[in-house]
Amino acid sequence: MELLVIFGPIFFSFFVYFIFRNSPETTKYVALGWFVVLFFLSLNWYHQLPPEGYMVLGKYLSVPQFGFELTIKMDALSVAMLILTSALLVLVVLTSWEEKEQHIYMSLLIMFSGPIFGVFMTTNILWFFIFWELTLVPMLFLVGYWGAEERIYAAIKFFLYTHVFAMFMFVAFFMIFRQTGVWDFSDLAGKENLFKTPFLIWWLMFLGFAAKLPVFPFHTWLPDAHVQAPSSISVLLAGVLLKMGAYGLIRFTVELMPETTKHFAMVMLIIGIITTLFAGFLAIYERHIKKMVAYSSISHMGMVVVAISTVTYDGLSASLYEMIGHALVISPLFLIAGWLHHKTHTWYMDEMGGIMKKAPFVSAIFILAGMAALGLPGTMGFIGELTITISAVKAYGWWVAIVAVAGLISAGYIIWAVRRAIHGPMSPLVERTTFTMSFPEKLALAIYAILIVYFGVNPQPIFNLANQAFAFLGGN
Amino acid sequence: MSFVVLVLAGLIVPLFYRQNIQVAKGIAVFAFGAAAFLIFNGHSLADYLDYFSITPSIKLMEFVLLLTLAAVSLSLTGFERPLISQMLFLSAVSLGLLETNNLFIFIVLFEAVAIISYILVSNIRNYYNAEGAIKAFIAGAVASGIILFGLALFSFVTPSFEYNQIRVEGKFTLIAVAIMLAGIFYKLTIVPMHGWAADAYAQVNHVAAAILSGVIKSVVMLATFNAFHRFLEFYPAMAVIIFSFFAILTMTLANFMALWQKRISKMLAYSSIAHSGYALIPFAAISSKFAYPGILYYAIAYIFMQTAVFLMLNELRVRAGIKYISHLKGLGKRSPLVALLFTIQIFSLAGIPLLAGFMSKAAAFYAGVDAGLWWLVLIALLNSALAVGYYVILIKNIYLDEPEESSTIEISYGALIGQLLLLGGTLYFGIIASNIFTSTMG
Repeated sequence: MELLVIFGPIFFSFFVYFIFRNSPETTKYVALGWFVVLFFLSLNWYHQLPPEGYMVLGKYLSVPQFGFELTIKMDALSVAMLILTSALLVLVVLTSWEEKEQHIYMSLLIMFSGPIFGVFMTTNILWFFIFWELTLVPMLFLVGYWGAEERIYAAIKFFLYTHVFAMFMFVAFFMIFRQTGVWDFSDLAGKENLFKTPFLIWWLMFLGFAAKLPVFPFHTWLPDAHVQAPSSISVLLAGVLLKMGAYGLIRFTVELMPETTKHFAMVMLIIGIITTLFAGFLAIYERHIKKMVAYSSISHMGMVVVAISTVTYDGLSASLYEMIGHALVISPLFLIAGWLHHKTHTWYMDEMGGIMKKAPFVSAIFILAGMAALGLPGTMGFIGELTITISAVKAYGWWVAIVAVAGLISAGYIIWAVRRAIHGPMSPLVERTTFTMSFPEKLALAIYAILIVYFGVNPQPIFNLANQAFAFLGGN
Repeated sequence: MSFVVLVLAGLIVPLFYRQNIQVAKGIAVFAFGAAAFLIFNGHSLADYLDYFSITPSIKLMEFVLLLTLAAVSLSLTGFERPLISQMLFLSAVSLGLLETNNLFIFIVLFEAVAIISYILVSNIRNYYNAEGAIKAFIAGAVASGIILFGLALFSFVTPSFEYNQIRVEGKFTLIAVAIMLAGIFYKLTIVPMHGWAADAYAQVNHVAAAILSGVIKSVVMLATFNAFHRFLEFYPAMAVIIFSFFAILTMTLANFMALWQKRISKMLAYSSIAHSGYALIPFAAISSKFAYPGILYYAIAYIFMQTAVFLMLNELRVRAGIKYISHLKGLGKRSPLVALLFTIQIFSLAGIPLLAGFMSKAAAFYAGVDAGLWWLVLIALLNSALAVGYYVILIKNIYLDEPEESSTIEISYGALIGQLLLLGGTLYFGIIASNIFTSTMG
């Protein structure tokens, strides 16, 4: 079953393409069905989890001489990521209901689901890297073929950028095996003294994850890729691929090398704060609506780094919450920004204006998600920012409260964006545009809105997961 | 026995290929299959003659070699038909080269491989082919001279040419071995002995280039490791200095040269040179027990992917006149299956996971880290990331650009079967690594 979940999509996506190429419409039902199955499978795994530690599902493709095998093991953090990923994939199918050349698009999405599940399901470092790299391939095509005007440049930049930085990580993984003789990171937790050159390994790994997250100064691929990608794929990029970076950071720095991480915590903290504030200021400056959302996304990931850098139970729970919150809040913003461009053929907010009058439903969701992004109480954004600020202040002292300034900055750009694009006098461009949206897309946006409010009012389910995931840090 | 079968088939095939190429192909494939069967049942050269010995890892490489050559002979068409008998001879000699345990026999068979390669490239149709063939021939002749000089020097100091009793220590040995390696570096296209290869691989006909750059190079790679690892093990620090220097030089220069090529065959030629650079890492990491699995894995993965891309390029050139990268535009729309097969092999060359190219790099580079050369591995990995830069341009042209022509491209069934065989190898060794490690490390 586990092998089918990982390798099945990779190989069967080719068959899906060749079988359904004469009836492209069918593929979206196949994809939807498969992702719903994955969603319920992940929920099922959540219920099977032991209260603490890992659940072993199987070991395959063993190479004893090299100590290398595909170990499928999951804990609460992996399952949380799996549930998030599969839920986002279902919503992505809904929001790309009317994409062109569906049979290829959906085959690539199905292909993507294999390695992304693999990343979160395996505990073998080499297989983790294999799946990590493999997620890039469908993304290259999805961004490069379905994206906006500059799509090919953006796709290749994204591919090369993340690939180059993954190479640093790869050397670090080799060194881990060389120095410990174990490929399985769950067996290495708490054995930091085995590492002979922990600082070198830590930095090489941090480079790889930092470029994926991304943090300042490795963030330059993100605005290009996220802006040029079709909006549903921006959702995947922001909601899942950036989470891979954060997941890796938690697994390989906090769990594997807590002492070294504490040693460099201040560096991580400073990088996180710079990222948060810098990306926020860039977002204020931006007229381009999707770029603004992209910078806002970077800003939120900076907060996740701040939370991870504390290496405390509070901080990591907050980071998990913020990761899920970021996925659910940024996604509708990306979707609506892309949809507005699709309808009005402009990216610039000052050429929009008055959209509220022509498309009230979408505008309302945009405002709701925007308010969540700036941290309005009652939404996911508030709890995320609050818990991160509290945990960081607890760990480092009162001056880290500067993180909360990010909330102020985001209030600046979100409210100004709402004022320029959604409200304000109706521009001639909007006047002559007809705004229609298909039912599946509306449904997906409504689901996002409901989830943002639901987990904003009732964050307990996510913190229960975090409690299970980070119990080793002395939770409660 | 396997040797005899292949040579006999090589002699019989020329009787048929003028009239009926299908019969010739059938005989060739049968001979490759029969040779593999005989090797499997213990009728290889080593079972009949001294000076030869066989290990599980050599057996594995031989099966891979025979499978690849069978795939190549299936996909031959038209004027490449003389290559069939040359491939049969080549495989026979390569089996000897892989199995030998005597340095003298190694050099003799190495020369035999070189001579067959001159005949392979002399399948000349135009001025470009001739230029490439002459470069390959002259460079090969120079290399032979250098190797023979090294061997002559070496014969002064060694009591025996048997690998087990060979003399490994002493300054004079070191000089002689260095000279021999310099000659072999011509065949392995190590910078600065690579000048001929960039032209020869790109300009001789693509099937000959597939055999030259894919098959012969990987066989020589592995056989050289078998022949010379004792010297390197005796002087590990020297091995690190020499081989890491040439590895860095080769891969960096070749990758930068490949970046601005417009002709696909030239780009693949430079990429092949860069791959030789990566293959030197296990040589540098001789003190690691993973060096041998690393080089074996590299040779096996490389033979599949390099042969497959050149064969596919041959089909594309014959069927659709595709020569330059810009001609690939929209191939994904014009012919989805061909584009997919081509793309998978290119991804394998680029080192994308679940394909043999990735796992072989992982094994070879891990040997480097195991020997403490993490800086060399980091340079190699950054180089392979640089290489993705030009492979991804091919992918971009195939899938992301709009087609300039709308005609579809059909390839022959033989070529399709050949490509599927090679694809099978690339996928199998990309996912399942246990054969390699079991055959080398027990």
